[in-house]
Amino acid sequence: MTLNNETRDKGLEVLTHLKDSKLITHLNACVHCGLCADSCMYYLAMNDKRFIPARKVDIVSSVYKRYCTFTGKYLPGLVGARNLDEPSIVEMVDLLYGACTMCGRCTIHCSIGVDIAYVVRTGRNMLANMKLVPATLQSTVNAAIETGNNMAIPTEELVDTIEWMEEELRDEEGCSEAKIPLDEPGKNVLYTLNPREPKFFPLSISAMAKIFHAAGESWTLSTRMYDVTNYAFFSGDPEEARIIAGRLEEEMKNLDAKRCILAECGHGSRAFRWEGPNYLGKEFDFDVITSVELIYEYWKQGRIKLDKSRQTAPITMHDPCNLVRSGGIIHQQRELLQHCVMNFIETTPYGVDNFCCGGGGGQLAMSEYNERRLKIGELKANQVKATGAKILVTPCHNCVDQLMQLNGTFKMGVQVKTLAEIVADALIME
Amino acid sequence: MIWYQFIALSGLAVCLSFAVFHFVKLLRLGKPKDLAKSIGNENDGIRYSFTKAMSPKHKESAYLHMPTYTAGIVFHLAVFLSIALFFAFVTRLLPEGAYRYLPAIFVLIGSALGIAILVKRILLAQMRALSNPDDYISNLLVNVFLLSTAFYLIFQEFEMYYYLSVSLLLFYFPLGKLRHAVYFFAARYHLGFFYGRRGVWPSKPY
Repeated sequence: MTLNNETRDKGLEVLTHLKDSKLITHLNACVHCGLCADSCMYYLAMNDKRFIPARKVDIVSSVYKRYCTFTGKYLPGLVGARNLDEPSIVEMVDLLYGACTMCGRCTIHCSIGVDIAYVVRTGRNMLANMKLVPATLQSTVNAAIETGNNMAIPTEELVDTIEWMEEELRDEEGCSEAKIPLDEPGKNVLYTLNPREPKFFPLSISAMAKIFHAAGESWTLSTRMYDVTNYAFFSGDPEEARIIAGRLEEEMKNLDAKRCILAECGHGSRAFRWEGPNYLGKEFDFDVITSVELIYEYWKQGRIKLDKSRQTAPITMHDPCNLVRSGGIIHQQRELLQHCVMNFIETTPYGVDNFCCGGGGGQLAMSEYNERRLKIGELKANQVKATGAKILVTPCHNCVDQLMQLNGTFKMGVQVKTLAEIVADALIME
Repeated sequence: MIWYQFIALSGLAVCLSFAVFHFVKLLRLGKPKDLAKSIGNENDGIRYSFTKAMSPKHKESAYLHMPTYTAGIVFHLAVFLSIALFFAFVTRLLPEGAYRYLPAIFVLIGSALGIAILVKRILLAQMRALSNPDDYISNLLVNVFLLSTAFYLIFQEFEMYYYLSVSLLLFYFPLGKLRHAVYFFAARYHLGFFYGRRGVWPSKPY
């Protein structure tokens, strides 16, 4: 790797002349107590001191100190300030992309309160500015920017899949009039999809369509912009993230929809709902909520009715980090499950303390880190196995993908399902 | 005023100027700019961040490490007490008497625990991997400050060494991680703001 001054300066732009009190704070607050180690899956799974979250903070803050603080400029050895040079960049790529899912578990348990995931994101932003995003992750971002969805699914293929799912749905009891509308303007809801759904898991689309039908919702899908994901959130490039978020915002306006409903995708919902307005520099003038909240709303308002007696198998749930720990969607999915199944068992730990599935932070897109991803996933697999559950539910397609791989690798013996699928199976159709 | 008291007060001026400068700088930058629609309450989140979220029950860094956590808490309480005592010494507000032994014992305990934390940093490979010279120096200076406070409480003739140790600490403050005295509060604020807006904090039963 060769690093010229121009490239280095692009990386440093992220740290110099900071106007962000949050970033200044978190770059200066770590005391290297090391108590975050046990909150990190990478450290727990591999017992490697490089993976302690404080080390990941340090790799960014040591560069910040070197170029932006008095001590770091004149006494770098004293505070461990480092030049942004080739060895530090190699370490940054490995630790920030390859050894962190940005799950934020270390953040919520930090003894000081350092937002470690935010510092990691800042480090990724530096690397993205220097065009050092791992090629595998960047290709996912590029696919989204060039084709409109991260799996480069042609529109015809999407339309065929949707038509097929609509036919399947109409065969179900009470659904003969059900529709999966495409590109219909003026509807209440524009529903998004994770491209994994039309590509690999189309049944989750028909499950959600069944829920919309049961609730009597006025809704549509878009063929132009349906992708809920935003991998630029993971790559750390705010400009590319802005382009992707901007397309969905534009489609909301094109279709004159009132509510944007984000499909079961942890990072996608975070990237649009929480980061989208900041990427775009404006507040949204429409409602944005996740499908989990919408289904909960339908149930609370009595728009859908559920029969829990149909599902007697023991069921457990995986909490997606971006939806739960960084999104505050904590109780809704639990209340719904309590009314959809007879035997719901929590993992230990769960909720905001839950472990990541291991596929977050773009790990599923970065094949070069597959071995690590599966290794840290063993922790999750053991957590699930300990419940004795036969069905594992998670409201995130990214997590579904990782959990299905863990299911095969670690013989978890579960069926992995989305929340919409469980709710759809429990629906009482009138 | 004796020369070593003058040096200590100069150190205090440097330390406070630094702390105030950085604190005001953070304040002037204002609240984080977040254009996303909040689903919680940032004030409740900030309140929670400084209270319940800090309790050992809610923090893995505490409940999985109770000996270290307890040592850290007592060590910091001893530091706060020693800072209060410094002002009492400087202003001559601390009367003479045998009751000086009580704070001296507490500060000595705090110092012993501080030294234990330093030893842990030296002995454990994963701690050494995280540490730079400043981590050792900062801890050492604070421990020297605590020990000299305790000795000065008991032996009046220790005065000069006490003020010199205070001076060292105060002049060093802006250089290294002791600055977390300022940034700790800002970090808790920002974390409370973040989780408060997103409805994660205050944590509710679920």
